[in-house]
Amino acid sequence: MPTFNHDVVIIGSGASGGMAAYILAQAGVKCLMLEAGPMVDFTRHRSMKAVYDLPFRGFGEPGRFPHITQASEFDANLWTDEKKNPYSHPESDPYYWVRIRLLGGKTLRWGRASWRLSDYEFKGKDHDGWGENWPLTLADLAPFYDRVEPLFRVSGRNEGWPQLPDGKLLADDSTESLSMERFLASAKKLGVPTTKPRRATGTLASSVNLLLPAAQATGNLTIVPNAIVREIGVDPKTGLVNAVHYIDRRSKREYTVPAKTLLLGASTLESTRLLLNSRSRQYPTGLANSSGVLGHYLFDQFYVKNTVTAIVPEARGGKGPRNLMGGAGYVPRFTNLKPGKPEKNYLRGWAWDFGSGGTPSPELFPQWGDELARTMADVQGAGFSMTTMGESLPRFEHKLTIHPTLRDEWGIPAPHIEQRYTDNEHNMAKDAMETGVALCEGAGFEVLAAHSQMVPPGESIHELGTCRMGADATKSVLNSFNQAHDVKNLFVLDGSAFPSGGVQNPTLTILALTVRATEYLLAQKKQGKL
Amino acid sequence: MKRRHLLQTLAATPALLPAQQTNPSPDENVVLTVVSPESAGLPVRRFFTPEQFATLQTLADLIAPSLDGRPGAKDAEAAAFLDFLLAKSPRDRQVLYQRSLDTLNRTARTKHQKAFSELGPTEANALLAPLKVKWTYAAPTEPVAAFLRAAKADIIRATTNSRAVAEANIAGRRRATGLNPYWQVIE
Ligand SMILES: Cc1cc2nc3c(=O)[nH]c(=O)nc-3n(C[C@H](O)[C@H](O)[C@H](O)COP(=O)(O)OP(=O)(O)OC[C@H]3O[C@@H](n4cnc5c(N)ncnc54)[C@H](O)[C@@H]3O)c2cc1C
Repeated sequence: MPTFNHDVVIIGSGASGGMAAYILAQAGVKCLMLEAGPMVDFTRHRSMKAVYDLPFRGFGEPGRFPHITQASEFDANLWTDEKKNPYSHPESDPYYWVRIRLLGGKTLRWGRASWRLSDYEFKGKDHDGWGENWPLTLADLAPFYDRVEPLFRVSGRNEGWPQLPDGKLLADDSTESLSMERFLASAKKLGVPTTKPRRATGTLASSVNLLLPAAQATGNLTIVPNAIVREIGVDPKTGLVNAVHYIDRRSKREYTVPAKTLLLGASTLESTRLLLNSRSRQYPTGLANSSGVLGHYLFDQFYVKNTVTAIVPEARGGKGPRNLMGGAGYVPRFTNLKPGKPEKNYLRGWAWDFGSGGTPSPELFPQWGDELARTMADVQGAGFSMTTMGESLPRFEHKLTIHPTLRDEWGIPAPHIEQRYTDNEHNMAKDAMETGVALCEGAGFEVLAAHSQMVPPGESIHELGTCRMGADATKSVLNSFNQAHDVKNLFVLDGSAFPSGGVQNPTLTILALTVRATEYLLAQKKQGKL
Repeated sequence: MKRRHLLQTLAATPALLPAQQTNPSPDENVVLTVVSPESAGLPVRRFFTPEQFATLQTLADLIAPSLDGRPGAKDAEAAAFLDFLLAKSPRDRQVLYQRSLDTLNRTARTKHQKAFSELGPTEANALLAPLKVKWTYAAPTEPVAAFLRAAKADIIRATTNSRAVAEANIAGRRRATGLNPYWQVIE
């Protein structure tokens, strides 16, 4: 018989759930963490293999992951099985939902790019009139970013730019390769700012090594893998959360635990799905949804992968000095920074990741046979490429709803997801492509291919919104501390809380918001308000 | 038996003369040398008709010939692998391959009164002209052009990722590629 001595229940063990446990357990709060997936054992589950020894020679089993282009045959077993965990989208608007259901969530695989949001995002509406402001400013969140960056050992270079706030970084003073220097000079000439990448460092920068061990060492964290939360229970008298109902992933047996305070970090779409699936007399359209916006304002960052692929001519045939190729960099948003009417035919802006030293894909050459083989030998390591990441605007009609009939393997109603890119995003992508070509040409690179076609919504793995925070409880679900306006003992910590997202990869902000929310929770508890 | 497999087998199983026989060990952690199913037998073809397969083989050879000692599609048995892959692929991909291989063959017969697989290199290469267009993000709308683009990528990948290429890299002291961490099923 379990003793139920926990003070809080945490759902999910990724960036948000892991950070909640890290702060609360160390503050002496007893945490029960329910995680849908199993635990990963890096020694037992991972071994080196040659691609030719895989059954599908690295192509992967056809049709296994129709929506996860990131899945390879090597890591196929890490990604969420789409047949057991189905979802739907309009046929004309594909949505690529990329999930990892394991202890640690997507932090087991994230690319670790870690940028702060700025007041261009937090106060976006004040700047250009679109959407809603966040109910907090950079000044409110900066002290929490200050604590997360050293924990994740984020490296990079501070530039003092208002649109890309400085951080507490491990200084990246690495020298640039010659091709990179040429590109940076070309960017400077056109007034385009550039900086070093900003990334969490270390062999693994995941919740499973950076957050959960410290939390568990306190003796205050109980982790329950294989516990798929189905519904959140509410006290009919108070309207507060009082229980969490979950299913054992393997046996499908159902369980219930009491919950005095609930912290939800199941990831953007899963958290909102769970709230929408938790209907009651008090909350007939989903838990904490008196505003009617739960599920709405879904957005992400659109990606145009390899917007420009170029060749550094001097590197052809392996010629050129040793330090000609290599290195990576970042261009922050630099358009529409002046307040008022946008200078472009779109609102907001985009960023670029760029890198030197790759080999362009053979697909890009209109050749085959010996001719192609010679070309590939000639351009090996001589490539330069840029990927665009653009802001997509949150819109009411972009949403997650619950499918009327579709259910997952455990009988839980599945989501229906609707998001498409509009003219604003397409105009931005086109501008990014044209500017990228100009920068590469300015550097004396041969542009091999350029395009402005973004991958489908979701594929950037930066899905955000659907349970947004805001100052006005009639237009938002959460307050500025990720606490539900309607249900005081419910906190939603993941990316669903974002009212807008800029171009910056979101995880650093999810982590900082979680630290802020959980410390607020601690203060509330101390004051007897929770 | 394939020569490659024969060599591996010879290396892996030294003749067991009574004098050399090792004593049975009670240890559970024995290490035995094994080979993959792919290197032990000849693959059974399931998907393409003999004519389509012959066309694909010829096409594969044109796209990825062996060059300067580096194995090509033929050494990598890329066409046989694609027969297996296509048998498991979504229907639209299967149709694209089947119809386009038939079209290539029909065009060869109309133009040269020969099957595609019987054409000389100049005639056969001329039929691959749709591959000469500048790359665009969207695949071409004309089916044979779309097929050639897809097949080019598949043939190159099936060749690059083959055991033949890996062995040649090792033999030529080039950097071994394609070795990566593999994740087992996590239960
Ligand atoms: C390949 C890849 C590259 C990325 N690169 C970057 C990057 O460079 N920078 C960046 O900022 N972000 C990046 N991301 C995104 C980043 O990983 C996510 O933003 C981050 O992990 C989100 O944290 P989370 O806690 O919201 O969700 P997750 O980390 O996904 O964790 C959610 C957890 O909740 C569990 N869960 C879900 N439903 C339930 C349920 N019903 N019951 C119980 N548990 C449940 C899941 O199993 C999961 O473990 C990347 C992601 C991937 C996959």
